Amino acid sequence: MSVFLQPGFWVFVLALAGIYGIFSLGLQIQYGVGGVMNFGHVGMMAISGYTIAVLVIKYQWSFWWAAFIGVALAALLGALLGLTTLRLSGDYFAIASIAFAEITRYWILNSDSVTGGTQGTLAIPSESGFSSYTTEPDVILTWIQDRLYPLIGDEASRDLAMVLVVWPFLFLFIWISSRLQQTSWARVLRATREDDDVPRSLGKNVFRFRLQTLIIGSVFGGIAGIFWALQFMLLAPEDFLRIVTFYGWMILILAGATRVKGLIFASIFFGFLYGATRFLDFWPLSLLSSPERAYLRVFLIGLVIVLLMLKRPQGFFGKREEMVLE
Amino acid sequence: MKKLIARTESISKNSSNEHILEVKDISVSFGGVQPVRGVSFGLTENSFTSIIGPNGAGKTSLFNLISGINKVDAGEIIFRGEALQDIHIHKIAQKGLVRTFQGAKVIRRLTVAENLMMAVQGNPGDNLRGFLNPRARSSFESKSREEAMRRLEQVGLTKFADEFAGILSGGQRKLLDLSRALMTKPSLLLLDEPFAGVNPTLVEKLLNVLEELRKDQEMTFLLIEHDLETVMRISDRVIVMAEGKIIADGLPNSIYESEVVIDAYLGSRRRGAK
Repeated sequence: MSVFLQPGFWVFVLALAGIYGIFSLGLQIQYGVGGVMNFGHVGMMAISGYTIAVLVIKYQWSFWWAAFIGVALAALLGALLGLTTLRLSGDYFAIASIAFAEITRYWILNSDSVTGGTQGTLAIPSESGFSSYTTEPDVILTWIQDRLYPLIGDEASRDLAMVLVVWPFLFLFIWISSRLQQTSWARVLRATREDDDVPRSLGKNVFRFRLQTLIIGSVFGGIAGIFWALQFMLLAPEDFLRIVTFYGWMILILAGATRVKGLIFASIFFGFLYGATRFLDFWPLSLLSSPERAYLRVFLIGLVIVLLMLKRPQGFFGKREEMVLE
Repeated sequence: MKKLIARTESISKNSSNEHILEVKDISVSFGGVQPVRGVSFGLTENSFTSIIGPNGAGKTSLFNLISGINKVDAGEIIFRGEALQDIHIHKIAQKGLVRTFQGAKVIRRLTVAENLMMAVQGNPGDNLRGFLNPRARSSFESKSREEAMRRLEQVGLTKFADEFAGILSGGQRKLLDLSRALMTKPSLLLLDEPFAGVNPTLVEKLLNVLEELRKDQEMTFLLIEHDLETVMRISDRVIVMAEGKIIADGLPNSIYESEVVIDAYLGSRRRGAK
């Protein structure tokens, strides 16, 4: 349990929370504003992360250009997903979006010559034989660590540098998203959550609005993919399982789907839940091995979602009266 | 009845150039049910026409076809010289043909004012490009809010402006639905039982508002209404539907006295009134 007293643990929690915060922000715009139930959001993170790894390792692109292309590709695939399936009603779209994410993951898994397949980005074929894709951004992270070292010594970790990079972006994106959600664009989208016929018969192209929210959400998913790739420095297909999307959903439900600022607290709570279970070594959990305890997070997250749905369906920051209006 | 329909057809043929809306022999089926069967009529600009008929006559289905919510199986709908049957609903509304709903659909989780402001056409904030021009957005929002408050005052809902629309009663929702449609500044407004559940004093006030709009903004109205007193007062033409067809079409007084209409619809109501 003493691990919870170590700053390194909390720094890791914050780094993870920052990345998942950006990831969930994409879901918040899609579902909290537009009512689009995307269960395949992890696909965007996978696309962006793997695009960076492949372009940098296999084709020796600059990390920055690769990151830009990764996000653009996530947006493009978001558009493609929307154009082909967004006319489906809520539940059917959700199923189609899961299929999309799974197709993406299976493609990554089975394209050894491009993505490294089951062995992950370490096995991406490279002329130089060098399989790292983080050399360029690492210069910045190292620079931050060097500045911090005189102040906090060994605590100036790469994770801490990541926190200092990711969180300003999270705050910036939350600010942009908040501004966006005050526009009449978001007002129309909020209307579409309840009824399509009303905005349509008032001259609003509901499909266009939904497509836009799907693309914007995909961009945030793609950006989260950049930070994910940067944080873990190695990608494998099992990083992008369906459960990752549901981690994002838990954060969203915890925050209150319509409350963008609640994501800050909710993502930290999730980061703690995700990182802490492995270290819960009191009885009877002490009977389990560390990796088994790590998997407890899946049960715990499920339990939190169930409890929230029962006791506080509007999330910690949502308004209950919004939930009960008929 | 034949005489009444023949008279209207003759008007339609002679004055097709003045028609803002022409409905030509439209039909639709849902499974084995055919709620609209070969309906034809034309509306002249700046007219006020009411559709009456028993429940299940196909009135709301007709509105759904004209407004594009459902597509016709056969026939044509021409609005200002342009065929509507293959056009998306939102484009029909953008052309100035707007409707209200029988069940008064309000967006429950938007405030009353937001429900109205959503309806304003040409809002730069509706477009993502507008996000980059906050000044234009903000100025448009202020004007929309002013207009919304003016509309709310007309229907006595000012005090609910910043409350969720979900708290409104059925009658208040009808008023909100009507005001929201008016926010679009339509040239043809389809009103589906807008006064059901609204108190008589307010109905009187709303009728005056509609008459003013007709006079000042040359709006055209097509109304579905069961209250014959209201219909007789405001309409200059009445169409009677039964079993998906038009069974009579003419001036309010002639409809009121038509034996066919009395048999099909009015008879029971008159007897009920006695």
